[in-house]
Amino acid sequence: MIRKPTIKSWRSAEQWLLGSMALALGTVAGIWLLLDPVPMAVPHFAALVLLIASLAASLIMIGLAGRTRRQMEAMLQGRASAEARAIETLRNSEAQWKEVFEHNPVMYFMVDATGTVLSVNTFGAAQLGYSVSELLGKSVLKVFPAEEQLAAKSNVGVCLENIGQTHSWEICKVRKDGSSLWVRENAKAVRRLDNQLIVLIACEDITERKEAENALRQSEMYLAEAQRLSRTGSFGWRAGSDEIIWSEETFRIFGFDKAPSINRATVIQRIHPDDRARVLRTTGRALSEWKDFEHGYRLLMPDGSVKHVHARAHAVKDTSSGIDFVGAVSDVTARKRAEMELHEAQATLAHVTRVTALGELAASIAHEVNQPLAAVVTNAAACRRWLDRDPPDLKEARGTLESIIKDGTRAGEVIQRVRALVNKAPDQKAPLNINDVINEVISLVQHELLNHRISLQLELSPALPLAVADRVQLQQVILNLVINGIEAMQPVMDRPRELMIRTCQDEARQIMVTVKDCGVGLATENADRLFDAFFTTKSGGMGMGLSICRSIVDAHGGRLSASGNAGPGATFHFTLPLDQEGAP
Amino acid sequence: MTGRQASPSLAGAEDPIVFVIDDDSSVREALSSLFRSVGLRVEAFGSAHEFLQLKLPNVPSCLILDIRLPRVSGLDFQAELAKADIHIPVIFMTGHGDIPMTVRAMKAGAVDFLTKPFRDQDMLDAVTAAIERDRNSRDEAKVLSNLHELFATLTPRERQVMALVTTGLMNKQIAAEIGLAEITVKIHRGHIMRKMGAKSLPDLVRMAELLGIGPASGQPQT
Ligand SMILES: Nc1ncnc2c1ncn2[C@@H]1O[C@H](COP(=O)(O)OP(=O)(O)O)[C@@H](O)[C@H]1O
Ligand SMILES: [Mg+2]
Repeated sequence: MIRKPTIKSWRSAEQWLLGSMALALGTVAGIWLLLDPVPMAVPHFAALVLLIASLAASLIMIGLAGRTRRQMEAMLQGRASAEARAIETLRNSEAQWKEVFEHNPVMYFMVDATGTVLSVNTFGAAQLGYSVSELLGKSVLKVFPAEEQLAAKSNVGVCLENIGQTHSWEICKVRKDGSSLWVRENAKAVRRLDNQLIVLIACEDITERKEAENALRQSEMYLAEAQRLSRTGSFGWRAGSDEIIWSEETFRIFGFDKAPSINRATVIQRIHPDDRARVLRTTGRALSEWKDFEHGYRLLMPDGSVKHVHARAHAVKDTSSGIDFVGAVSDVTARKRAEMELHEAQATLAHVTRVTALGELAASIAHEVNQPLAAVVTNAAACRRWLDRDPPDLKEARGTLESIIKDGTRAGEVIQRVRALVNKAPDQKAPLNINDVINEVISLVQHELLNHRISLQLELSPALPLAVADRVQLQQVILNLVINGIEAMQPVMDRPRELMIRTCQDEARQIMVTVKDCGVGLATENADRLFDAFFTTKSGGMGMGLSICRSIVDAHGGRLSASGNAGPGATFHFTLPLDQEGAP
Repeated sequence: MTGRQASPSLAGAEDPIVFVIDDDSSVREALSSLFRSVGLRVEAFGSAHEFLQLKLPNVPSCLILDIRLPRVSGLDFQAELAKADIHIPVIFMTGHGDIPMTVRAMKAGAVDFLTKPFRDQDMLDAVTAAIERDRNSRDEAKVLSNLHELFATLTPRERQVMALVTTGLMNKQIAAEIGLAEITVKIHRGHIMRKMGAKSLPDLVRMAELLGIGPASGQPQT
């Protein structure tokens, strides 16, 4: 680059020489023309002048040529052949440098203080879709899109203000065809020998990196947006350091200000006190076994509100970051609330149908209370008479008192059972023996069975494991199935009316309850609809019984199904999972 | 649970017995205790079937029956007893809301009904009345069977004469009616009075009434 002006000045010296020769000739010609109108005596004079002029020009030329020749001779003689070789090497090196300059896959620009392109390499021009000549002498802003021009100008300005210092920046350029190109530019202003300020710029194409960066930034942005929309944050847990790295959304969910990481103890403080021990147990176990984990818990926010979250973590081994668990945590408060509302609605419905069913059983239940009550009153009267005897018969009196206690308790139990079914109690799952539940229901329907002349067959397996269930809800399921069985046998006149209730364990060792009747049976066309809400074939039916039974059994993790019998009637079965440790 | 309660042996004793049939053992035991406390013999059963296994002793007794019984209802059982010619006063126990059944029971000859829970005195009064009634009907039945036995000792002619005497005819009229001498009628009449153990003519008339002897038949109508 430095060489060009040198070559140029040398060339201008030659021009000057030719120019002065032309000037000389011109002067002679001018004089000739000026003197043209002179009389005939003049030609001699003119010829003389011309001659002198030519002579003078020749002399000058000879003098000049001679000086040059003398110079050359001196050079040739003085420097000998080593110098010649050096020059040759210089020439070669210059050509090489020129080659490098032209084809180095780096774009070079030289612009003046006003931004006019003084020079550009072929590669640089080609990268922008131009030829060198298309750019030379033009404003360099031509290769910047409108929105970058201001930045480009100020970048050059900065260089000009700090002469000799290298500055670098990233900027977007525009090709001739309008496509864009990201570059990283290194630039520096220098003062040329002629005192002119120029800016040298070398730029490398970083489009690919920039695109990757943009893509990354965009995907990060999408991720953040997705996290915000799905209310799911992510976290990384370095178990050793007790530091947790959170995404923005995780900070938002937990209600902390964004920070690079957060201390585990701080996080634990935010967990609902009732859930804290359980969370620590889960994470502690995951840590010691270094296994994936998943759990739901509540957060108690500073304003007293409660959030429900669900977290899942995957055990990883990333030695570079030291992260042991990577996971996601979702704010499921809205879903939990909806679930709770649905559950509430279902419970209300179940309650209504339960009370309706009990209403139908009122006479039977009244009888169940009245029997022990009658016994109590009679025993009390007998007791008084034993005591009134002379002497009082204390042994008999005591016997009647024992009976009174027993029967009073029995009446109380019936009432309590009815009250439990009538009450709208919240879920109370506890380990229970299904056989007990069945016996409790039977005590309420005994007389209903009697009135319908139905004989009850009980086959309760004595060695059943416990099931974790809500007693009242299971009573309702069994009650519904029994009432349906009773109703299905109402029209039966030609055979004994038999209802069977059986408990056993199925092949999967789940508890299975079977209620079988010999009633009208199931019509195949109704098989799919039996469990639909409001499906009924009874004139006074509500059609809610089986639908509620199924939702209760489902909520217990079991299955309720119906099948026809080989003989007359229908069979309903439901299963219940066992009271397993760690069951959700 | 067997329905039998500890009680003195049935054989030999002449004391009245109360029978109880209820499928609920509590009620059964309570009633047993009540009756025993007033010195009544009691036999309790869980079902009508168990009761029927028993050979009923010939003493004044009554039956207390729950109107709702498994398998055979109290009402059906009452009908069954009547068909089997077992005459025992029945007291029904009913629950609330069993009014239609109660009406049917009364029509079918139940002596009383009590709604559970009942007052002990009401129950004892009902039982006492029922036993009294049973004793009376048993006494009547005994008198009747004695009369039948005495009547059986009469000759056919004497039966004929007795029928005519008890309708109020004079000896002369009877003699004319059946073509005997008046004196012969008089002798027959003496035999009849002696054989039947009648102290007077009105006494004999009452006996004829009990035996259902009409002038046309001369035979007892039972
Ligand atoms: N044991 C059964 N035998 C025959 N059909 C039955 C039996 N249980 C239920 N069904 C059928 O399923 C329908 C829905 O039952 P359910 O949901 O309990 O409502 P509802 O008893 O009010 O009709 C009944 O109307 C009847 O057609
Ligand atoms: Mg139903």
